[in-house]
Amino acid sequence: MENENFDRDIKATIKKNWRLFKQSRLGMTGLGIVVFFGFLSILQPLLFLTGIWDEGIYHPVVGYDAEKVGRTIVECPTQYPTKEYQQEGDCPRVDEVNIRYLKAFNIEGEVGEIYESNVQPAPPSSRHILGTDSLGRDIFSQIMEGSQVAFVLGLISAIIGVGISTLLGTAAAFYGGVLDTYLMRQSDLVLMLPTLPFLFIISAFAELQIWHLAVVLGTIGGLGGSVITVKSQALQVKVKPFVDSARITGGSKRRIMFSHILPNVAPLALLFMVFSVTGAIASESVLSFLGLLNIDMSWGIMIYLAQAEGFIFTGLKYWWLILPAGLSVTLLAGGFYLVGRGLDDVFNPRLRRR
Amino acid sequence: MLIYTVKRFFEMIIVFFLFLIISYLLFNAIPGNAFSSLLLNPLLPPETYQRTIELFGLDKPLFERVQLYIINFFKGDFGYSYIYYPRSPIEVIAERLPRTLMLFSIVNVIAFYSGFLVGKVLAWRRGSKSETWITIGSVFSYTVFYPWFALMMLWFFGYKMNWFPLGKFLVPEKWYDSPYSSDEIFYTLILFTTIGSFLLFLVFIFTRNIESLENRRNARIVGLLFLLVLASIYWSNGEASLKRFYAADIAFHMILPTFTVTLVAFAGTALLTRTTMMEVLKDDYILTARAKGLSQKRIRDRHAARTALLPVVTSFIFTIITIIDGSVLTESIFSWPGMGQLILEAVTREDIPLAMASFSFIGILALIAHFIADVSYAFLDPRIRVKADS
Repeated sequence: MENENFDRDIKATIKKNWRLFKQSRLGMTGLGIVVFFGFLSILQPLLFLTGIWDEGIYHPVVGYDAEKVGRTIVECPTQYPTKEYQQEGDCPRVDEVNIRYLKAFNIEGEVGEIYESNVQPAPPSSRHILGTDSLGRDIFSQIMEGSQVAFVLGLISAIIGVGISTLLGTAAAFYGGVLDTYLMRQSDLVLMLPTLPFLFIISAFAELQIWHLAVVLGTIGGLGGSVITVKSQALQVKVKPFVDSARITGGSKRRIMFSHILPNVAPLALLFMVFSVTGAIASESVLSFLGLLNIDMSWGIMIYLAQAEGFIFTGLKYWWLILPAGLSVTLLAGGFYLVGRGLDDVFNPRLRRR
Repeated sequence: MLIYTVKRFFEMIIVFFLFLIISYLLFNAIPGNAFSSLLLNPLLPPETYQRTIELFGLDKPLFERVQLYIINFFKGDFGYSYIYYPRSPIEVIAERLPRTLMLFSIVNVIAFYSGFLVGKVLAWRRGSKSETWITIGSVFSYTVFYPWFALMMLWFFGYKMNWFPLGKFLVPEKWYDSPYSSDEIFYTLILFTTIGSFLLFLVFIFTRNIESLENRRNARIVGLLFLLVLASIYWSNGEASLKRFYAADIAFHMILPTFTVTLVAFAGTALLTRTTMMEVLKDDYILTARAKGLSQKRIRDRHAARTALLPVVTSFIFTIITIIDGSVLTESIFSWPGMGQLILEAVTREDIPLAMASFSFIGILALIAHFIADVSYAFLDPRIRVKADS
C-alpha cells in the first residue's frame, strides 16, 4: 500500500515537473535538438540493417562512391576580375571544369558542353544529401556516426562525473573533518592540472578510445570543481529540520545520507549532468580536431580533415565539408545546454516567473 | 581565523608538493625522451645519445630524479630547457608569459564587463522578444565549437575581407631596421595599457557616488575623452612617437584574436549574470525598492545588479586559472607565440624542465586565485565580512 502511494507520488512529481518544463520554450527547443540528433544516431544502423543504404557506399569510414557528376566545361580568363569571376580562385566554380585541365589529360571537350566524371568532394545531390568528402565518403553518414560518438561519450562521461561528484560531495558535507579536508584538497589538485595539456600527455602514452576518454573526462570533471558545488548544496540540506528529526528517531548515518540528503541533492546533480554533457562533447571535438584520439570518425575529425586538406580557407565553395560538422557540435552542445536551463527553471523555484 | 589560515597554508603546500610529483611522473610516463631523435641521426656516433642523456641526468633512476628535481625546485633552480638549451625555463617563460597575459587580460576584462551588462538587461527584460534572441545568440556563442569558430573568423575577417592579418605576432618586414626589439615595444604597450586601464578604473570609482544616473554617465564620458586625449599626447611626443609605428603593428595583430575570444567568453558571463540576477529580483528588498517608488533603472543598477555581481566576480577569478590552459587552442590557431604554444611544445617534445616549470607556474597561480576568491568574496559581501569580524 505504501509502495503504491510512493509510486503515485513519483508519477505526480514527474508530471508536475514536465508541465513546468514545457513552459520554457527554449528548454523545449533544446529537447527537440537533442531528440533530433538521437534520432540521427539511431537511424544510421537501421538504414544499414534494412539495406536501404549499402555499407560499401555509405559507410562513414571505408565507404566510397564513384558518383558521376556533370560539370560545364569553361575556359578560365587570364585576367581578373571579369563579369562572372571576381578573382582567380573563383574559376572554375564547383559545377564547372577548366578546359585546360581536360587538354592536359587529352580529354575531348568543347566549352559549354557537359563533362561527366568522378569528383571528390562531390557537392550535395539526391544520393548524398550533404555531399561527400575528399575521399568519397558520405558526409551525412559521417554526421550520423559523429552523433553516436557524441552521445556515447557525453552520456558516459556525464554519468561517471556526476556519480563521483554527488557521492563524494555529499559524503564531504555529511561526515566533515578529515574526509572533507582530503576531498577539498583533492579537488584543488585536480583543478590545478591544466586540462588540455594533461589530455595531451595522456594521449601520448595511451591510445585513447572513446570510452577511455569518457572515463578520463568524467573522472576529471567529477573530482574537480563540481564536488565543491555539490558539497555546498549538501551542507544547506544537512542543517534542515528533517535531517535532525531523522537522526533523533534513530536513523543510521548511512540511511540519513542515502535516503534523506542524497535525494535532495539529486536535482542539482541532474542539472550538472546535463551541463557536463556540453563540456564533454566540446572536449572530444577539440581532441579529435587536434588529432589526438584513436577513433575512426567524429565531428572533430571531420573538421580536422577539412582543415588539414585545406578546405577551410576556400570559404563557402566547399561549405558541406565545413559547416555541417561544426554546426552539429554547436547545436548538440547548445541543445543540452538549453535542456539544462529548462531543468534549472523547474528545480529552482526562484528562477520561475511566478 | 588565523589558525584556519595557517592550516590552509600548510595544506596548500602539501597539495603543491603532490602536484609537482604527479606532474613529473606524468611527463616521465610519455614514451621516449627529448633526445630520442639523436638516435635517428646516422651522422652521430652512437655514444652521443648516451653522453647527452648522462649530461642532463636522464639516466638516473626515476626516484632519484624526482627527488633531485623537487629539492632543486625549492632552492629556486629550475634547470635548463632542453629545446632552448642555454636558457633556463624561467627566462623562456618570462618572455612568453606577458604576451599571453596581455591578450587574455584584455579579453577577460572586456568579456566580463560586457557580459555583465548584457546579463543584467536579459534578466530585466524577461519574457520579451529581445530576451529570447539575445539568449539564443549567447547560447550559440557559449557552446560554439571554438576551433571551428576561430577558423571561420580567421577566414572571414582575415582572408575574405582582408581586414586583419592571418594570425602571428608581427609583420617581420616592418621590423628589419627597427631600433627596438619586439619585447621592448611590447613592454611599452603593456605599461601603457595597464596605466590606461588603471586611470579608467579610477574614473569609474570616483564617479560611482554621483547620485543622478545621467550626470554619472556624462562624467564618465568626459573622463574617457580626457584619457583619450592624454593617450594621443603620449604617443605623439618624445620616444613614444618613434615606437608608435611598431606598437601599432603589434596592436593590429591583437585585434582579431581579442575579438574572437571575447565573443566566445562574454556569453558565459552574460548567462551566469542572468541567472543570479533573476534570483535576486525575487528578493524582498527589491519589492521594497519598488514600493518606495524608485525608478526602474535605479533598482536594476543599484539594488539588484550589485548583489548579482558576487558570483560573477568569483567566476572571473576562477577564469584567471584557466587563462593559460585556454590559451593553448587560441594561440595555436592564431599563431600567437605565448604560454599556450610553449606548453604545447614542451609537452609534445618532452622538455621536462620547461613543462614542469610552466605546470608549477599554473599551479601556483591556481592556488593564489583560490585564496583571492575567498578574500574578495568577504570584501564584496558585507554579510560575510560582518560574520568574520564578530
